[in-house]
Amino acid sequence: MTALTLDVRGVTKRFGDGDTAVLAVRGVSLAVESGEVVLIMGPSGSGKTTLLSMMGALLRPTGGAIHLDGTEISALSEGRLPDIRLRQFGFIFQDFNLLSALSVLENVAIVAELGGLRRRAARDKATALLTELGLGARLDFLPEKLSGGEKQRVAIARALINDPALILADEPTANLDSKIGREIMRLLRGIAKEQGRSVVIVSHDQRIRDIADRVLWLEDGAFRDIVTMATDPVCGMAVERELAVSAERDGIAYHFCSRGCRAEFLGTMPDAAGEAAGKP
Amino acid sequence: MSATFLLARRNLARNRVRLLVSVGGVALALSLTLALDAVYAGVANQLTTYVDRAGADVWVAQAGVRNLHMVASWLPESVTEEVRAVAGVADATPILYSTDTIAARAERAVAYVIGLPAEAPMGGPWDVVEGSSRVGPGEIIVDRGFARKARVSIGDTVTVLGGEARIVGLSQGTASLVNSVAFVSFDDFQAMRGGTPVVSFVLVKVAEAASPEAVAAAIERGVPDVTAQTRVDFSTQERRLVMDMSADVISIMNAVGFVVGLAVVALTVYVQTLARRREYGVLKALGARNRVLYRVVLVQAVLSVAVGFLVALAFTGLLAFAVSRAGLDLELSIGAASLAKVGLFAAVIAGLAAVLPIRQVSGVDPAIVFRRGAAA
Repeated sequence: MTALTLDVRGVTKRFGDGDTAVLAVRGVSLAVESGEVVLIMGPSGSGKTTLLSMMGALLRPTGGAIHLDGTEISALSEGRLPDIRLRQFGFIFQDFNLLSALSVLENVAIVAELGGLRRRAARDKATALLTELGLGARLDFLPEKLSGGEKQRVAIARALINDPALILADEPTANLDSKIGREIMRLLRGIAKEQGRSVVIVSHDQRIRDIADRVLWLEDGAFRDIVTMATDPVCGMAVERELAVSAERDGIAYHFCSRGCRAEFLGTMPDAAGEAAGKP
Repeated sequence: MSATFLLARRNLARNRVRLLVSVGGVALALSLTLALDAVYAGVANQLTTYVDRAGADVWVAQAGVRNLHMVASWLPESVTEEVRAVAGVADATPILYSTDTIAARAERAVAYVIGLPAEAPMGGPWDVVEGSSRVGPGEIIVDRGFARKARVSIGDTVTVLGGEARIVGLSQGTASLVNSVAFVSFDDFQAMRGGTPVVSFVLVKVAEAASPEAVAAAIERGVPDVTAQTRVDFSTQERRLVMDMSADVISIMNAVGFVVGLAVVALTVYVQTLARRREYGVLKALGARNRVLYRVVLVQAVLSVAVGFLVALAFTGLLAFAVSRAGLDLELSIGAASLAKVGLFAAVIAGLAAVLPIRQVSGVDPAIVFRRGAAA
């Protein structure tokens, strides 16, 4: 995997022409750094999925440009896009989108084979990845025999098999119960923080804010208020920078979920610490 | 096994009913073509049996006559001696030949009637199962199948060439779906035809060192107004005539089989592709190129047709075996040419059946993956 930066510059997407034209995305700009988890939220019909499709080179923007590590992928010919999708992006879907006729192992290995690995090597790599994700005992199962959480873990393994720099996830927790949803969120955060991949998530799920480095609000095809997330250095919880309890040490600002965490970090009692902006 | 083949195979196996319909339809359509070819090839085999088994290396006929079925060949009797005089000829036997009806009791059957000289070294029945293999005045050898159907046996009388003849022998392997071969004495045949001193064919045995082709050519050079052909050429002409006569029927049935097979495979592969449209979109989104997806569709069509072809082959083989055991005057012969033709049909069916689904796959938008729907 190479560290890539996705740079979305003034991207617009219009569907239809004339009076019936709909502007789904209006001049959106966004840069995603490696190892970063970006959460895009917004009401239904706000253009989240359209934006994600364009970021994943599945849909061509009407205006603006999308650069991946300096290459303008939005200007590439159709013939060059499959390689980009195959090697640079990993997709995770709300509906899992596993191939129903293939086993768990085959669902993952087939993507590695498409990426150029020989069958044996692809199966070995897929087996290792699935085992790591706790699916070692489900390799020969068909998707229909799996629970929602297991299906999503297979989809995550499939997204990771070709070692992409960017993971694009569309409502990855929507069809899962809260426990499994948290497990998937933990996995996605691990993918970003431990493996250094960028993760862009489109979701309505407020719980995902906990793992996001940045939360963007998309409404009527444009970003409104941008909330920057930070990680509490004591408990590891994601917190909104603007609203969090904070402290400064050696010229660096730290943000905390509570005064207790801040006090623990500073080694002082809660009342002794100087409060910065935000909630008390 | 490549990813393409694996996916195609699994897609097919996933819906067994659809697979059964697809394979069954192809098998039925190809069986129709294979079985019909086999029937006609069998009939051609049977019709050339006399030519193949008469024992002659070269057949000499009236000029321009190149086969036996539905022709008349008349040569002066003196031709036999002229042929004997040609270098390389070891022996020459004149025969008289006509297509006629043999009747006994209420049974009537078309037969090649052969007039044989006494002690003829060739041209006679090759497998007599009952009675004599020689025919004298007023005698006839008929096929055992005809005798069974007419409920006659050795010593009974049949009507042939406008007269009567007594059965002295029963032969086998001398009947086909359309006729049988009966043997009468040369003199009787000649007398029944008004005593004209003619022969129909002269059967030639070539000398050991001579080649039939060279002797046939020498006969044509040395004997005026005759056509001389080797047994192989004569038999080929006969077979070609049979196939030419049945060409229209075969063509029509081939076309029917082709259209039925194509329709069934095209429909099932199309439905199969339609049902997996979203999955093709997923593969595109994951980075599969269109050509990979085209291969999946094509392999599905080819696998359906290949399995159908094998089933059709097995079915026709079993049918041929059953017919051979049923005692019918019918032979099913599955030849290499027929297999090649039906194999080519199958390949074309698979290719054409994949065209529409491939067009459908090419139009699948990879962004379909983000639309909500029932997916695994």
